[in-house]
Amino acid sequence: MVVSLNDTILMWEIPIMSQLSRRNLLVILGGTLAAPAIVRAQSSDALKIGGMLPLSGAASIEGRQILLGLQFAVEEVNAKGGVLGRKIELVIEDDEGNSTKGVTAVRRLIERDKVPFIVGTYASAVAAAASKISAEYKIPMLSGGSTAAIVTDGNTLGDPWFFRSWPDSNSQGEDTAKAIVQKFKKTKVAIIHDNTNYGVTLAEQVTRVVSASGGAIVSRDGYNAGEQDFSTMLTRIRSLHPEAVYIGGWAGDGANIVRQAAEVGLKAQFVGSGSMISDDFIRLAGPASEGFAVASLYEMSTPNPVGKAFGERFRSRFNQDANTFSSLGFDSTSIGIEAMRRAGKADGQDIQKMLKSGMKDFPIVQGPPGITAAFNDKGSVDFPNFIAIIKDGKRRIDV
Amino acid sequence: MDLFLQYFANGIVTGSTYVLVAVGLTLIFGILGVVNFAHGEFYMIGGYAGVFSVSVLHLPILPAIGLVLAAAAVVGLVAEVILYRPMKNRDATSSIISSFGLAVVFQNAALAVMGSQPQRLDLDVSRIPVLSHLPTEFGPVFLPQQRTLLPVAMVLLIALLYLVLRYTWTGLSLRAMAQNTTMARLCGVRVERVAVVTFMVGAALAGIAGMLMSSIFFVYPIVGNMIALKAFTVVILGGMGNVAGAAVAGLLLGVTESLTSAYISNAARDIVGFVFVILVLLFRPQGLFGRSVDRS
Repeated sequence: MVVSLNDTILMWEIPIMSQLSRRNLLVILGGTLAAPAIVRAQSSDALKIGGMLPLSGAASIEGRQILLGLQFAVEEVNAKGGVLGRKIELVIEDDEGNSTKGVTAVRRLIERDKVPFIVGTYASAVAAAASKISAEYKIPMLSGGSTAAIVTDGNTLGDPWFFRSWPDSNSQGEDTAKAIVQKFKKTKVAIIHDNTNYGVTLAEQVTRVVSASGGAIVSRDGYNAGEQDFSTMLTRIRSLHPEAVYIGGWAGDGANIVRQAAEVGLKAQFVGSGSMISDDFIRLAGPASEGFAVASLYEMSTPNPVGKAFGERFRSRFNQDANTFSSLGFDSTSIGIEAMRRAGKADGQDIQKMLKSGMKDFPIVQGPPGITAAFNDKGSVDFPNFIAIIKDGKRRIDV
Repeated sequence: MDLFLQYFANGIVTGSTYVLVAVGLTLIFGILGVVNFAHGEFYMIGGYAGVFSVSVLHLPILPAIGLVLAAAAVVGLVAEVILYRPMKNRDATSSIISSFGLAVVFQNAALAVMGSQPQRLDLDVSRIPVLSHLPTEFGPVFLPQQRTLLPVAMVLLIALLYLVLRYTWTGLSLRAMAQNTTMARLCGVRVERVAVVTFMVGAALAGIAGMLMSSIFFVYPIVGNMIALKAFTVVILGGMGNVAGAAVAGLLLGVTESLTSAYISNAARDIVGFVFVILVLLFRPQGLFGRSVDRS
C-alpha cells in the first residue's frame, strides 16, 4: 500500500527526473515556458522521503498513530516552504509487521523512490532486518517506534545507520523498576509476566533492579500470552499482601489482569511494561486502570516546552491528543528532514554524517526539557523515561 | 480454607465454560462422528455477537441472548453444510481438515471485520432483573454477578439439553443417530435434519459461553484456539461422545487448573490438563467415565 501525501506528482515526469533533474531541465528550456507550467513543475518537483510502518496486521493501531506524527512533521515543513527549495513528499510503505515485507519495502523505497532516508519501523524484528539492508545502500533509518536494544546494538559502534531518538527497552524497564522503589516507595513487589522472551526478560530485570535498590520480590508468576483467567493467581497474590505489582506482557493481557485484580480486591500500586502505554489499555481495563503506572516518552502534560508546543499544534490539527507514538514519529521525521537541510543535499551518506554529530542542538519533543537529537555512538539518544500515572482515564506525568 | 473455597469457586466458573463448549463438541462427535476443530470459533463468534448486540445495538440481556442464538444457528448451519453434508460418506480426516480450514476462515473474517484489538462486553448487571439481586459474597467466597451467571446458565442449559434429549422426538432421533445411523435412518429418522440440529445446538451452547465469558474476559479473533483445546481435553477425559462425562470432566478440569495455579504454579495450569489427557489416552482410552462407545 502506498500513501502519497503529495498528489501533485505526475507519473510521466518520473523517467525524466531520473536522468535529468527538473531544475536543470527548466534551465535548459529557459524562460520560454509559460508561467503556469513553471509553477506546476516546482510544486511537483517534490523531494521524496521514505516512511515504513505496520498499517495493517496486529500492530496497525500503533502504526497509524505513528503515521500521524510523520505526516504532521512533513506538513509543518512544507507549510514553511519545504527544504532545499523543494516540498517534501512522504512515500509510505506498509510492512504489516512482517520482516520479509519490511525488507521488500526498504528496497522499494530506496530503489524505486530514491529516498535519502527512511523513518521506520515499529516492530523491532522488522527494523533489525530492514536496517541491515538500508545500511548496505548507505541510506540512514530513523526508528518508527522500534525500541528494542538489539536494533541499535546491531549498529557498528561509531558508525550507526539506524537512529533512535529515545532510550532503548532496557532503560525503559530499568526506569520503571526503579520507580517502584524510589518514586512510589514500595518495597514488597509481586511480579506477573507472560512466558514470552519479552515478559521473562522484563521480569528478570525488575527482580534485579528492585532487589538492588532495597526492595523484595514476594512472588513471581508466569502466564501464557492470551490466557484469560487470572482470578486464582491474583487471589493467591492478594494473600501475600504485596505493596506493588509489576506486570510484564502485552497490553491486552495487562488490562485483563488489572481488571480482575480489582474484582478480587487486590489493592496495590500496579506498574506495567512499556507495551501498556496504549489508550486501548485504558479502554479495556476501564476504571480499574486508575493509578496504574507505565514508562512514557511523551504525554500532553510534558514539562518539555518543545513537546508541549508540539502537543498543542498537533491537537489543533488532528483534534486528538498527541501520545508516545505520534511524538516519536514526529521526532524521527523532523530530525531526518533537518539533517537533510543541514547536509545541504538529499544524499544518504551526508545525512548520516549529519545525524552522527551535527544535530546536538536540535531540540526534540520527547523526554524531559532540553533533550536534543544528540545521538551516541550506538545511534541512540538516552534520557530518563517519564513514569506516567493513569488518572481520570488519562495518563499524566505531573501527578 | 477460605482461600481454598475461593479457588474452588473460580475453578467452577471456568469449568462451566469448558462444559458448555465441550458438550456441543461431544454431541457433534457422538452423533455425527465429526471432529470439529472450528468449535472454538463458535465460542468466538458468540462473544462478538454478544458485544455487538449489547455494546452497539444496546439490547437488553434477553434479546441479546436471542441474537447470539440466532448468530449461532447461522454459524451452525454453515458448519453443517461445509463439514458434514458433503463429507459424511468420506473418511473422517476430510472433515477434520475441513474444520481446521473453517476455523482459519472464521478467525480471519473476525480479524478483518472486528480488528485485532480485544473487545469487552459491558454487561451492566444492575439492569438485569434477577441477577442484580444475587449476592456477590457467599461466605468467604466472592463472585461478581457476571461470574455467578456462568455456572447458573450452564446448569440451566445442560438441564434443558437433558430434557430435550430424554423426552422429545428430536432428542430421541439424536440418540438414535448416535447409536446407529443406518438403523436410525431405517426407522424414519431424518438424518439431515438431525445433523443440522446437532450443529446448531453445539454452536448455541458455545456461543452462549462465548457471550457470557466476554463480559468477564475479552473476546478477540483467536480467543477460540485455547478454548477449543480445553474442550477437546474435556471431551477426551469424559469419553468421546459422552455428554454427562463431558459435564463432569469440564468442571473437574476447571477446578484442577485453578488449584494448580493456586498451589503449584500458574505457569503449570495449562500443562496439567494435557498431561491428564495423555495419561487417559494411554491407560483409559474410553475416558474417565467410560463406557466405550461402539459405533458400527
